[in-house]
Amino acid sequence: MTATLTTSPTKLPPSTHEFAEVIHRLEAGGSMLPDTPENLMQIIGIYKAYAVPMDFYWRDLLYIAERVFLNPLPAFKYFLPQAYMDLPNHYAGDTADLRIWRGQATAHPELVEFMKKGETNSPMPKLLHHLWHDRINMEFAEACMRAMLWHQEMYTPVNRFYDYLETDEYVANADRAIRAYFKGNPLMLGLYKVFPDMFVEQVRQLSYYSNLGLFWEVMAPVFFEMSDLYDEGKMTTVPEAMDFLVNGIFAIAGRPIYHHAHINGECYEIIPKSKGFTWLYEAALPYVESVFYRTAPFRGTKSYNAQAGQVPANQADFHYGILYADVFPVGTAGIPPTLLMQDMLHFLPPYLVDYYKQYCRGEEDMLIQLGVTFQRSMYNVTSAVIQALRTALLYPLDDPNPGHLKANREFFESQLNRFKRPEARLRDIQSQDYR
Amino acid sequence: MPDIVDIAVSNDSFTTLVTAVKAANLVDTLKSPGPFTVFAPTDEAFAKLPPGTVQTLVQNIPQLSRILTYHVAAGKYTQAELEQLGEVASVEGSVIPIRSFDGSFEVKNASVVAADIEADNGIIHVLDTVILMG
Amino acid sequence: MLSLLIWVPVAGAIAVGFAPVPPRLLKLTSLIISGIVLLLTLWLVGQFDASDPAFQLQEYFAWLPSLGLNYDLAIDGLSLPMVVLNSFLTWIAIYSSNEKTERARLLYALMLLVGGGVAGAFLAHNLLLFFLFYEVELIPFYLLISIWGGENRGYAATKFLLYTALSGALIVAAFLGLIWFTDASSFTYESLAGQSLSLSLQLVLLVTLLIGFGIKVPLFPLHTWLPDTYVAASTPVAILLGGVLAKLGTYGLLRFGLGLFPDAWMFLAPGLATWGTISVLYGAIVAIAQKDIKRMVAYSSIGHMGYILLGAASLTALSVVGSVAQMVAHGLILATLFHLVGIVETKVGTRELDVLNGLMNPIRGLPLVSALLVLGGMASAGIPGLVGFIAEFMVFQGSYSIFPWQTLFCVVGSGLTAVYFVILLNRTCFGKLDNAIAYFPKVEWRERVPALMLVISIVFLGIQPTWLVRWSEATTTQMVAAMPDTSQPLALQTFTQEIFAPRISLGMQPEPLPRS
Repeated sequence: MTATLTTSPTKLPPSTHEFAEVIHRLEAGGSMLPDTPENLMQIIGIYKAYAVPMDFYWRDLLYIAERVFLNPLPAFKYFLPQAYMDLPNHYAGDTADLRIWRGQATAHPELVEFMKKGETNSPMPKLLHHLWHDRINMEFAEACMRAMLWHQEMYTPVNRFYDYLETDEYVANADRAIRAYFKGNPLMLGLYKVFPDMFVEQVRQLSYYSNLGLFWEVMAPVFFEMSDLYDEGKMTTVPEAMDFLVNGIFAIAGRPIYHHAHINGECYEIIPKSKGFTWLYEAALPYVESVFYRTAPFRGTKSYNAQAGQVPANQADFHYGILYADVFPVGTAGIPPTLLMQDMLHFLPPYLVDYYKQYCRGEEDMLIQLGVTFQRSMYNVTSAVIQALRTALLYPLDDPNPGHLKANREFFESQLNRFKRPEARLRDIQSQDYR
Repeated sequence: MPDIVDIAVSNDSFTTLVTAVKAANLVDTLKSPGPFTVFAPTDEAFAKLPPGTVQTLVQNIPQLSRILTYHVAAGKYTQAELEQLGEVASVEGSVIPIRSFDGSFEVKNASVVAADIEADNGIIHVLDTVILMG
Repeated sequence: MLSLLIWVPVAGAIAVGFAPVPPRLLKLTSLIISGIVLLLTLWLVGQFDASDPAFQLQEYFAWLPSLGLNYDLAIDGLSLPMVVLNSFLTWIAIYSSNEKTERARLLYALMLLVGGGVAGAFLAHNLLLFFLFYEVELIPFYLLISIWGGENRGYAATKFLLYTALSGALIVAAFLGLIWFTDASSFTYESLAGQSLSLSLQLVLLVTLLIGFGIKVPLFPLHTWLPDTYVAASTPVAILLGGVLAKLGTYGLLRFGLGLFPDAWMFLAPGLATWGTISVLYGAIVAIAQKDIKRMVAYSSIGHMGYILLGAASLTALSVVGSVAQMVAHGLILATLFHLVGIVETKVGTRELDVLNGLMNPIRGLPLVSALLVLGGMASAGIPGLVGFIAEFMVFQGSYSIFPWQTLFCVVGSGLTAVYFVILLNRTCFGKLDNAIAYFPKVEWRERVPALMLVISIVFLGIQPTWLVRWSEATTTQMVAAMPDTSQPLALQTFTQEIFAPRISLGMQPEPLPRS
């Protein structure tokens, strides 16, 4: 980093914040991630590797929310029917509402290829592929969904999703769907009579399946398009990549979030589109907060003693998300990030594979190297969210009013205060040596 | 005296707003006795939004209504009253903060271009920026 | 035949040292030579008659008859396991050496020379010949430590040299005394040779011998050279030092202390058992306090050598064969631990307990090395199913009826071993890998081979202990039976029949053998 970056780009005096350098970069329209060609190559490559499994995640999440629904033994919920593989994405292809990716609306070709034969490239039956974990690890998507469910109170009252799930209207909608789903099944209907709340709570969880599915339906084409632009030489800096995300966030902000269940050929609107729930307020912002920042400690890597105060009493103090995560235990069994890294490993662009081969243990620790890259890329996404919020709620970066600029700075500083925690990786990603 | 909708329709700088209000079927509401306080973004304000934003909203009327109702408060508040209150609840439900820097009248992150335009069923303050919840 | 075990490596050392072997082939050549020796050793095992307690395969050439010094080699159940251990660990040590080191030619020549010399000491059937081979190790080891060692190598090497020279002086004094006082015509080893002397004279000679070999083992408080030397020595040298050379001390105690001065040995036995126990407890407790893992392993070595003395002092058939088993077990386990600690140091760059952490990490850590380290620690702590348990259990079981208190304290020492290994493993292998330092180079398969071979032998001998004890039981049983008065074997026999009868026949006689 050069000395020029440490001086404030605005008319304000230089920030005295611990991350003053980063704040000045944000004020200049940059990202928390330093703008280097190496960083750009890494994050674009990983966006692409992330988007392919994400193309499966959103389809399967919607499949589970809409079709599998309350199946008490959902053993085949990850076996996505062709109809959902072909489900047209609303933001890609010729049929798009708003075309973000110039590619196709149905599942990505690399995903289709992978679904056929998997990593093992063997013609064994689908069930064996599944049991061998030679597949897309939907468990990761479900872990994200559960993080959103568990942290569902955040951003209320702007986020109306949680409040709505507790209304009588929602319970009545869920009730209709439950009765229709278990029609002719006296056992489950009997159980429903005895434990109605349990069933409704399960439907609430399914509403989050739908919520996350609709959120990722947008993100997959955004990342595909960024990858294509980079390959065409039309995306050349990290701030450009961030701005593309900011524009994407605004363009799709009003996309409805809903939950429809399709039971016996009939559509039950558990959360109708007419509730006015939007992609930005009910999905994107809660997602970023719950998955990037908060989540929950993983089982398997470290023992936490809640009685000794090792786990915060207040959910808002949870900081176990990707922006804070120790990526090095990736590879340990049973932790959700391992599943995601494994999924991304299958779809890395060749330039990223070559890059990883040059560092650390080369191919042997690629899972961790790409995890660190993923962390970098998510700092860029978070930067986009911060800049988007600044655009929506505050003032332009070139605002002539110093009072406005001051408000912007306070906003940036308050956002970066969250990375003062010792486990935050903002310091690490400033250097290329963290890999 | 003309009502809120009449004033907006008659003014050239509110064509986008009027289109949006019509699309969201809010005309009848805004013609009702009210009274309402409307924070009306100009055409330039809508133009400042990144591309695609308006398109997506127009495709999804309930979501469009939600954004529009954030620009409306129940009751009739003049600039002086608003500045004294410091914030006001919108019809959407979220709160609209009233800020002022160096004596200027600002509604959230929007500057008020023209304040206290009296209508039959309320009052209009003209904004240079579309305000968003959060 | 026996000569080959000595002269093949010595000839190899000369070849490596002086023949124009290209530098890149030095290690390979040395490996082939020591591999041949290992194969010869295994062939020797095939020739060995385990049921015969006496010396076998004797080779004799008159050398300096006037001095009583003859080239006289023989092998029995006591020396055979030591010879095998020596050949195996020499190969392992050469394998785990770094050929890119400076003066590689000298390094390999010295290692081969040491291998041949140690074999000579174990095979010598003549006291003076033993002493010569024993002393021949001195300079090569001094060089091995002072040239290729780590920090403080000069100091450590000198300390080692002084201690070992003193040890040698004491041993030769005892040997000479024995010959002079018994008026023997030569230095040829004769079991019970000292019995004709008065007890007080025997005691003087035995104590001299005990101190001499006690330095070599080492036993507390003669151990102070050991931590410095083991820590300063490079991995292959540490393997040789701890795995093989220390065994010269315990072998000497059994062969010459117990074998030559049975009356005095019997007389001193309670003191010896207590001495061993103190060494066990001292080694374990000091190891707990260490912050350097190599030093911790070094102190663990002091503790584990104590069991051998306890077993030898108890003089039951089971405890003495247990002592021999413990020598082998300790050699294998210590070599494993030193090798793994060496890998950790090479890759991580530190041996500090406070810095090391999370090496079990599956991708960025050293998972297999950590797993083997856990296994080595378990073997050292005497977890059943591993060779350490077999040896310690035989010693304890054999000693309890003779020295119950000492045995109980040794059992406590065994428990303390688990304490420091839990500390070591918990800090080193488990926990969170420190992101700031965790960019270690990966461990190549070839680097894992020695540890894997050692661990396989540890596990194999742990579940099939017959292969460990069958070679020495005839000899040790006879040694015990030949003692002046052993009233214990009957109780032992019942035990051994119960425990080992299906697999091991200890070859016990129903009655103690008549005194010779």
